[in-house]
Amino acid sequence: MGQLNLNRIQKFYGTYEVLKGIDLEVKNGEFVVFVGPSGCGKSTLLRMIAGLDETSSGDILIEGKRVNDLPPVKRGIAMVFQSYALYPHMTVFENIAFPLRVEKMAEEKLKAKVEHAARILHLDQRLQQKPGMLSGGQRQRVAIGRAIVREPKIFLFDEPLSNLDAALRADMRIELAKLHRQLQATMIYVTHDQVEAMTMADRIVVLNAGQIAQTGAPLELYHKPANTFVAGFIGNPKMNFLPVRCKGVSDAGVEVDYKGQTAVIPVAPQGGLVGRTLTLGVRPEHITLGPGDLTLKVTPTVIERLGAHTVAYAAIGGEGENFCAMLPGTAAIRPEVTIQTGIQVADCHLFDEAGIALERHVELTDIDMGVLDPAAA
Amino acid sequence: MSQPAMINRYRWHELVAIYCGIFVFLAFILAPFVEGFLVSLKPLGLLFSSPYKFWPENGSFAAYKSMWVSVPGFARYIFNSFFISSIVTVIVLVLVVPAAYAFARFKFRGSGALLAAFLAVNMFSGAVLLIPLFRLMRSLGVLNTYFAMIVPGVAFLIPSAIWLLRTYMMRIPRELDEAAFVDGASHFYTLRRVILPIAMPGITVVAITTFIGSYAQQFIFALTFNSKTEYMPLPIGLYAYFGRQEVIWNELMAASFVGIAPAVILIFLMQRYLVAGLTAGAVKQ
Ligand SMILES: Nc1ncnc2c1ncn2[C@@H]1O[C@H](COP(=O)(O)OP(=O)(O)OP(=O)(O)O)[C@@H](O)[C@H]1O
Ligand SMILES: [Mg+2]
Repeated sequence: MGQLNLNRIQKFYGTYEVLKGIDLEVKNGEFVVFVGPSGCGKSTLLRMIAGLDETSSGDILIEGKRVNDLPPVKRGIAMVFQSYALYPHMTVFENIAFPLRVEKMAEEKLKAKVEHAARILHLDQRLQQKPGMLSGGQRQRVAIGRAIVREPKIFLFDEPLSNLDAALRADMRIELAKLHRQLQATMIYVTHDQVEAMTMADRIVVLNAGQIAQTGAPLELYHKPANTFVAGFIGNPKMNFLPVRCKGVSDAGVEVDYKGQTAVIPVAPQGGLVGRTLTLGVRPEHITLGPGDLTLKVTPTVIERLGAHTVAYAAIGGEGENFCAMLPGTAAIRPEVTIQTGIQVADCHLFDEAGIALERHVELTDIDMGVLDPAAA
Repeated sequence: MSQPAMINRYRWHELVAIYCGIFVFLAFILAPFVEGFLVSLKPLGLLFSSPYKFWPENGSFAAYKSMWVSVPGFARYIFNSFFISSIVTVIVLVLVVPAAYAFARFKFRGSGALLAAFLAVNMFSGAVLLIPLFRLMRSLGVLNTYFAMIVPGVAFLIPSAIWLLRTYMMRIPRELDEAAFVDGASHFYTLRRVILPIAMPGITVVAITTFIGSYAQQFIFALTFNSKTEYMPLPIGLYAYFGRQEVIWNELMAASFVGIAPAVILIFLMQRYLVAGLTAGAVKQ
C-alpha cells in the first residue's frame, strides 16, 4: 500500500466524463509528474486529490485511510496553484504564515517556521514586501513557502512554472528538485512541459483524454512507450511514424516491409501479425545521414539550425506528414536537396493496428539502474 | 515637460471640443450650487430687488448665524439625518457583505432568481409602496420612531448594494478562496482575513452610495411615517424656513449647506479607502 492510492477515480461534469477510471499508487517520498495535452484532466485529478473537487466515483486513500470526504487540511496535503494565489494585501511573511495563523500557532514558533521556510526559498530579504513588488519567480517561491510551512505529507503542484520565462523556469526546476530531496516529501506535479516531467520525475503518469496512457520512469517512457500516444508525446521533436507491412515473425523479432525494403525489428514476437499493417516508430534523434538498416530518401523543406543540432523537416509518402530528422549541428544539408537518411533497427519501435507497442528488446537496466525501481534511486 | 503617451495625444480642436463639453456639463451641475451659495450671502431684502443682482453687494455670513435662531431645532435635524443614514449604512454593510460574498462565490438554488428579484425591487421606488408600508408600520406600532425611517431605508438600499458588491467580489480571483480553504481556513475566516481587505474599495463605494441614498430617501419616509418633530431629518427640517408669509431664502440656503456638511466631510474621509490595484500580485495575469 502506497502513501496515496487512487482507486478507479471517475469524474463527470454533467454527462461529460472527464476522468475515466484512474488507478494509481504513489509511494512515500516519490516525485510523480502528471503530463498530458491540454484539457486531458490533469488539473481536475489534482484538485480531486486536494479535496477542492468532489470525486464522482472511486476512492482516494492517503496512508490507507479513505479521505474522499475530508477537507484538504485533514488530508495532510498542501497545494501550489497554477496561478500563484497569493494574498495581495499581506506581506510575504504573512502570506507564508497564513496556514499557521489559521491553526492559531504560538507567535514564537510561527516566526521560527516562517523564517526557516523563507531561508530555504531565499526569501529572507523579502519578508516585509507585498507580493505586488515581487518578480514572478519570487511570487512562485512565496506560494511554495506557504505550502511547506505546514509540513504536509503530500505536496500538489499545478503547473507552478508555466508562466515563468525559460531561464527562470530552468532555475526553479532545479530548486524544486533540491527542495524535494531536502524535504523528502511526496510530491505530485502537474505540467504539460515534458522537459519538466523528464527532469524532475521519479515516475511520470501520462494522461490522455481522462485515462492513464502509461505510467513509468522517464527513461522507461522514452525507451519503451506503451502506445503511439506516449511515443508521440514524450520526446521532442515528436517521433516519426511510418506505415509498414508485417512479412514474418521470428524469435529475433518482426520482419517488416517498408516500400520494398525489409528489416527485422527486434521486438517481442506475436502471432497473427503477418500481412497486417503496423506502425514503425523512430525518433528524429535516431536518424542518421547516409544508409542504414532502412534507408529513406527525403527532400527537406525546412531546416532549423540550433547550433548543437540541425532539425530537418521533409514531407514523405502521400500522407503529407512531416518527417523529422535531428542531425548533427554541422550536417551538410540544404533545403530542396534530396538526402539519404538511415534508420537502425535497434532504435525502432513497432506498434500494432490499435497503436499498442510490441515490447522492444531493450534492457532498461543497462540504460539506467534506477529506472525500474524509482524508490531505490 | 514630458510628452504624454501617443495614445493620449489630441489635436487642438479635439482639446477645445473636450473642454467645451466638460464646461457645459459642469455649468449645469455647479451653477445651482454657486447661485445657492451667493443667495445665502445676501440680505433677504436684496433678494427680490430689481434689477436682480447676481453678485451680492454688502454680502455677509449673517444668515449662517441667524439660521440657528429662526429654527432652534435645526442642529437636531442635522443630527437625525446623519444618525439615520449612519445606522442605515452600518446595517446595510453588515447584511450585504456576507450576502454579496455568497452570491459571488457559492452556487445555490435560486441565486439567479433572487438576484433578478432584487433588480425588480429596485425598479419600485419606496414611494410606490408607501401606503402598504404605512399600514404595516401602523400595525406593528412603530410609526413615529427612528425605526420607521431606518428599516424601510435599509430594505430598499440592500438590493443595489448586493449587486454592486457582488460584481466587485467576483473580480477577486477564486484561487484565493481555494488557497485559503486548502490551508484550513473556514469560510468566515477567509471572508474576514482575505476577501474583506481586498474588497475594501468596493465596500467603500457601497458605503458611500448607501449613505447618500439614505439621505435622499429620508424625506419621503419621514414625511409619511413620522410626525414627531424631534425625529425629523434634515430635508423636513429645511421646511421650517418656509414661513407662513415668506420663505427665508438666504437662511434656507445657508442651512442647506450647513446641513450637508457633515455628510460631505464623512464621504471625504472615506475616500482614502478607494485605492485601486489592491489585487496586484495575487495571481498570474
Ligand atoms: N467546472 C467544469 N465544468 C465543466 N467542465 C469542466 C470543468 N472544469 C474542467 N472541465 C473540463 O474538464 C476537462 C479537463 O480539464 P482540466 O482543467 O483538468 O484540464 P488540464 O489537463 O488541467 O488542462 P491544462 O493543461 O490546459 O491545464 C476539460 O475538457 C474541461 O473542459
Ligand atoms: Mg490545468
